[in-house]
Amino acid sequence: MQFSLSPSVRKSITLIYHFAERESKSRYKRSLLGWFWSFLNPLVTVGVYWFIFGAVYRAEPPMTGNGNAESFGLYLFTGLIIWTLFTGLVEGSMEWLTSVSDLRKKIYFPTETALLGGAASNLVQTLLEVMVLVVIMGALSNIGWTLVFLPVAMVLALGFGLGLGFIVSVLNARYRDVKYLMGILLNVAFFAVPIVYTPELLESEEIPEAARVLVEWNPVALFIEISRDAAYFLQVPLWNRFLAALAWSVTTFVVGWVFFRKQSMSISEEP
Amino acid sequence: MTVGAIIVDGVSKRFRLERNRPSSLKEAVLRVGRTRDADEFWVLKNVDLDIAPGSFFGLIGHNGSGKSTLLRLMAGIHRPTVGSVEATGRLSALLELGTGFHPDLTGRENVYLNGAMLGISRKQMTASMDDIIEFSGIGDFVDEPVKIYSSGMYVRLGFAVAVNVSPDILLVDEVIAVGDEEFQRRCLKHMDMLRDRGTTIVLVSHNTDLMDECHQVGWLDHGKLVKVGTPGDVVSAYLQMVDSSENTLRAHDI
Repeated sequence: MQFSLSPSVRKSITLIYHFAERESKSRYKRSLLGWFWSFLNPLVTVGVYWFIFGAVYRAEPPMTGNGNAESFGLYLFTGLIIWTLFTGLVEGSMEWLTSVSDLRKKIYFPTETALLGGAASNLVQTLLEVMVLVVIMGALSNIGWTLVFLPVAMVLALGFGLGLGFIVSVLNARYRDVKYLMGILLNVAFFAVPIVYTPELLESEEIPEAARVLVEWNPVALFIEISRDAAYFLQVPLWNRFLAALAWSVTTFVVGWVFFRKQSMSISEEP
Repeated sequence: MTVGAIIVDGVSKRFRLERNRPSSLKEAVLRVGRTRDADEFWVLKNVDLDIAPGSFFGLIGHNGSGKSTLLRLMAGIHRPTVGSVEATGRLSALLELGTGFHPDLTGRENVYLNGAMLGISRKQMTASMDDIIEFSGIGDFVDEPVKIYSSGMYVRLGFAVAVNVSPDILLVDEVIAVGDEEFQRRCLKHMDMLRDRGTTIVLVSHNTDLMDECHQVGWLDHGKLVKVGTPGDVVSAYLQMVDSSENTLRAHDI
């Protein structure tokens, strides 16, 4: 049986590919080391956090899945991979939409392809980071079949980040304040997610219950916990956590998509 | 619906005037509750138009009459506020300078991008690349970013892409006037060729000689389509109006 796509879908796929290629090419344009930066960047980030929170503040990471290491570096990395993917999508979406808005005033094309293309390029970047992660896991001999849940966590984060990106990019096209507002919110959100600390740290009398619930059940934290189960604890994620993550991801993506489709036609009329 | 047909059905288009438009959240919040009726401007008012496949249609009218907006609605860039616009088939549009080029990309990359927007694969685009470069006459500049192009080069490349992708519908907004005499002639010759091949062409121009080439001409005045008919009738009615308003102006001067 011949599988054939409708012309408009094929057109969208060509465009998504184009935007993904453009984003990937422009990322390290005029740089000598090129893609090498993709590896260096997460390594340095992990290194700095490891030094500050691990060596200076003596954070105590939980035991890894293989039961013979306490690696704060790996603990950080499993969280940062998801966090970087998420923020890259939210901040990228605004940039990707802005970069095609002039074009869209002169020629019609489905605007969402610019965001989907950018997201695809971000995903490639994340896959490179996953390669580094697997190497580190191998070095610690902390590796197992549960790694299959890592792509699951990535897809969930992708749905959520892109859904949010759909919404904020349209708002940002109207009011440029949104970009700065999101910058601040994401900075704050970083500490609402257990990346540089463990959730157990919050189990103390001095910390209000609400803060603990927020940190445990906010969507990005859920994705990070799944990614940690997959690559750090080497265990199957809790089913209720997984369902909550899935609900966040699907709902946000659908709402964002519908909102974007409805609003994106007016982008050509923005000054 | 037949490929190449354009049906404009009861279309009105409203724009909001920019000076009254909040551009930041702060302003938007401060403005809540204020009436905004005065900020709106109807560019097109209840326009009905049927353009048959394969016809060569001219649009004429003074500056600001809504010609370009009508063309953009046909191109799907804007959505009508009221009514509907349907254009079936592969649509290629040359609207003002730059026609969908990204300034940072090279001419060649932009050709691929434009192709992708029309649903043409990279492979097909590669096949017609030589023709496009040849037609545009920009030579080696094709591998330079388009932001360094002169306005003539911009238009030439844009036109070369628009006509070499075998469109069913071609929309042209005055742009060819930017090219030199020789290029203009080549464009006209090429448009004739496309017309003979059955491409529907909609052309906006102030050049009344060009309008004589059309099958039909529409005259837009302050957003209303006041007359559609043969070039002879419509152009002379339009010119008469221009003359009479010029006379009124003169009368005022004296």
